[in-house]
Amino acid sequence: MLTEKDSKALCDKLLRFTKADDAQVSVSSEDFSHLRFAANAFTTSGRRENATAHVTVWIDKKRGAASANDIDDASLNMAVEEAERLARISPVDKEYIPTLGAQRYKPIGGFVESTVNVPLTERARAIDAIIRDCEKSGVIGAGFHHSHGDASAFATKNGNFHYNRSSLVALSVTARTPDGGSSGYFLRNHFDVAKLDVSRIGREAIQKALTSRAPRTLEAGIYPVILEAQAADDLIRFGFDARSTDEGRSPYSTTGGKSKLGETILDERISIVSDPWHPELPTSPVAGDGVPAEKVYFVRGGVLENFHYSRYWAKEKGKAPTPGPVNQIIEVAGPTASVEEMIKATERGLLVSRFWYIRSVDPRTALFTGLTRDGVWFIENGKIQYPVRNFRFNQSVLELLAPGNVEMIGPPERTSSSESQGRGAAITPAFKVKQFHFSSQSEAV
Amino acid sequence: MKSSRRNFLKATGLACGVATIPAWVLETEAAEAAAINKTKLADIAISLAKKLGASYADIRINRYRNESIFTREERVQNVSRTQSFGFGVRVLVQGAWGFAASHVVTPESVRRITEQAVEIARANAAFQRRPVEMVPAPKVVAKWKSSFEKDPFDVAIEPKVQFLLKLNEAAMKAKGASFVTSSMSFQNEQKFYASTDGSRIEQYIIRANPSFTVTAVNRSTGDFQTRSSLQGPKCIGYEYMEKHPWLDEATQAGEEAVAKLKAKPVEPGKYDLVIHPSNLWLTIHESVGHSTELDRALLWEANYAGTSFLTPDKTGKLQFGSTICNFFADRTQPEGCATVGYDDEGVPGQRWDLVKDGLFVGWQTTRDLAPLVGQKKSYGCLHADSWGSVPFPRMPNVSLAPAPVDARLDDLLADVTDGILIYGNGSWSIDQQRYNFQFGGQTFWEIKKGKVGAMLRDVAYQSRTTDFWHSCDGLGGKATYEINGSANDGKGEPGQSNAVSHGCPVARFRQVNVLNTGAKKV
Repeated sequence: MLTEKDSKALCDKLLRFTKADDAQVSVSSEDFSHLRFAANAFTTSGRRENATAHVTVWIDKKRGAASANDIDDASLNMAVEEAERLARISPVDKEYIPTLGAQRYKPIGGFVESTVNVPLTERARAIDAIIRDCEKSGVIGAGFHHSHGDASAFATKNGNFHYNRSSLVALSVTARTPDGGSSGYFLRNHFDVAKLDVSRIGREAIQKALTSRAPRTLEAGIYPVILEAQAADDLIRFGFDARSTDEGRSPYSTTGGKSKLGETILDERISIVSDPWHPELPTSPVAGDGVPAEKVYFVRGGVLENFHYSRYWAKEKGKAPTPGPVNQIIEVAGPTASVEEMIKATERGLLVSRFWYIRSVDPRTALFTGLTRDGVWFIENGKIQYPVRNFRFNQSVLELLAPGNVEMIGPPERTSSSESQGRGAAITPAFKVKQFHFSSQSEAV
Repeated sequence: MKSSRRNFLKATGLACGVATIPAWVLETEAAEAAAINKTKLADIAISLAKKLGASYADIRINRYRNESIFTREERVQNVSRTQSFGFGVRVLVQGAWGFAASHVVTPESVRRITEQAVEIARANAAFQRRPVEMVPAPKVVAKWKSSFEKDPFDVAIEPKVQFLLKLNEAAMKAKGASFVTSSMSFQNEQKFYASTDGSRIEQYIIRANPSFTVTAVNRSTGDFQTRSSLQGPKCIGYEYMEKHPWLDEATQAGEEAVAKLKAKPVEPGKYDLVIHPSNLWLTIHESVGHSTELDRALLWEANYAGTSFLTPDKTGKLQFGSTICNFFADRTQPEGCATVGYDDEGVPGQRWDLVKDGLFVGWQTTRDLAPLVGQKKSYGCLHADSWGSVPFPRMPNVSLAPAPVDARLDDLLADVTDGILIYGNGSWSIDQQRYNFQFGGQTFWEIKKGKVGAMLRDVAYQSRTTDFWHSCDGLGGKATYEINGSANDGKGEPGQSNAVSHGCPVARFRQVNVLNTGAKKV
């Protein structure tokens, strides 16, 4: 990983090389390592180091971009000349906005050196301990441990510069019974390796597999559902893009070119927030186009309060560029309830551990399809009665969290969507909702 | 193949119409050509790995180039060229894999990274429960180039930009078309592989990936609909842009996006489906391609992509589909995105059966998977998406053979009383064992008494893999066969992206469950 001094020197060099009217350059570097295991044995393990320089230039408002991962002078020069050649032969960039001058970015945390340098033997021993737990419990374990250090710096011809380092360690574990009849999964990540509870991750996965044995088949249909925080994070992702809304092609567009801004779209206890300084989710203080990030409420108390305006679209619409989003935090007003309390409060319903293969079906209604995976249980009279087989769902995320559908909300916690493999992170609570649409049954385990 | 940098500079010089290459470029080229001798670097890595105790080792020294152009309506949003160069060393020590990679391609770096790879393998070997075994592969010294007429990196940017702007103009001709985005991207992989088997292989691969989407918005009702291109990426050159009737398709797409606003919502229920290759390729990919990956069946992907409903004991026993279904894997298929001369452990590209007369008969294998099912050779499915990625089992081109007779679309429609004709791929989702899937599409048309009728909208079909392929009772002949595919098929941890193609004819399926995705309760 490149230091701030080295990154700055490379950015300065790139800017010196270019003769373009305007330019934004960046240098990113990484140190990544992993250990993967399956069928109770190690499979692959490796390490990668890399550094990449990116150059975007404008000549007579015409844009070109190039990147390369050779960072010697000649290669950097070549990347700059390549970008300039592309700019010269491109049409005018009608959405060109001059790059920003010097900005002030409030520092964040989010980098811990020991997270990047997990000792090889320590990692192997920790994963071996999980495999031993799997063997003792009579299940077959698989999982993925990875650690990252990333450094990124960018600079503009107009005088802006910023450097940021981040670290991340993640572990996910799947436990399956040897008969292939049940499976459990657990994933957590953190920027500080000291805060990743490795043994808990293994334990939770094993426990879910063991409590999912001999699942019964339930008819698909509409059920009251408790979504564990993992399931909620897998499914709930919001985008509040102003341009697509203004163009009439977002779920927040309404008739006559209007939008739902100011309307109550979610349960009044829910706020959707971006905050780079959240202590559990420190994120880059740089929002889109280099705008200094600030804490932004997109939904406050269920009311749609803000859209994201890029610098270009903000100029077109006479608005200020939006200093976010850089992350997704679901804030909850009022009392929260644990998953156990939600189960006790459920007369008849389902507990869902995780979702999988989630894809957009209808962008007009934010309708998604996907499947439950690694643990679904039937609840009756306040108790888990038995595990059930998986379902396919077709569910609008807006309807899921709409006023009247949300009954109880858990305390928000740091989560990571399972399809991101632990690379992403968010702050998400568990939810108990009145209606969730399961459209077919799946025998997959 | 000569120095990769030399090729790159020549290509960019030609592409940009530069009469003379700047002096510093020539200096760089000369310096690099002198400094980077791939064979010498490979010798360093291989001999050091052996000395440090590796029973097998390979090194891949690869350069990846990408050119992308993005436009919307009459605007060019970005033109970019990227390249990534580096090497990765993979070693097998005491039955455990170790891998390390760097972008710094020097003899010193190769020594350091090889030592790291061995160190990683050793640290893990102490805890390894199941030592890795590999089937042998022949020593290969070869050069291979994918088939293309016109290297896209030798084509100037201006005509590419103009082409996309013309395409956008064609799409926007339709009254009611509101927006269009279009792009073309080209990939070039320059791969060098060397191993302890004595193999030394160089490959040069070109892929082209154009696409567009037209959107029609009805402001008064708040409705919007899209129609994306039906064509996908192919392992061919710039001739793809010149030979396919892109402008005609864009004009049609604009009209169809607008027509979708007024199309009849489908009534949910069971229908006979006649599915065009532009849709069916993705269903083959998800339900056949992924289910026949042996690493999934052996639980190696249990933590992410999932396992498979197929297991080794079902080989040669499970009736996967109707007897007219013949699926084959082929890493030599013309235009196939997964077509190679050799895989990433030196195994030649080849063709083999996965499903024969409806019976499941074959797996996708690598050198460390093959022995686990008693096979003595690999089918050559090892692949890494970068010099910095660990190679692991990836899908070859998996295709459905056409009918041996000359059946056309009309022949398949003729026997349908109440059905739906589907073009293009839309939303897709399938479970982690590849049973339950749901697929959308781009356009949908009623079939009534053998004739294509009105346009439908909000259609998705949902089925179970073996039920679906058992319901297949009609295939088109060679004339209906098309190849399509994905440039970015995700799998593995850390996640990797693979380009892969699937050929198939138009096909008919009986009584498949159809959903209305626009309904309040789907």
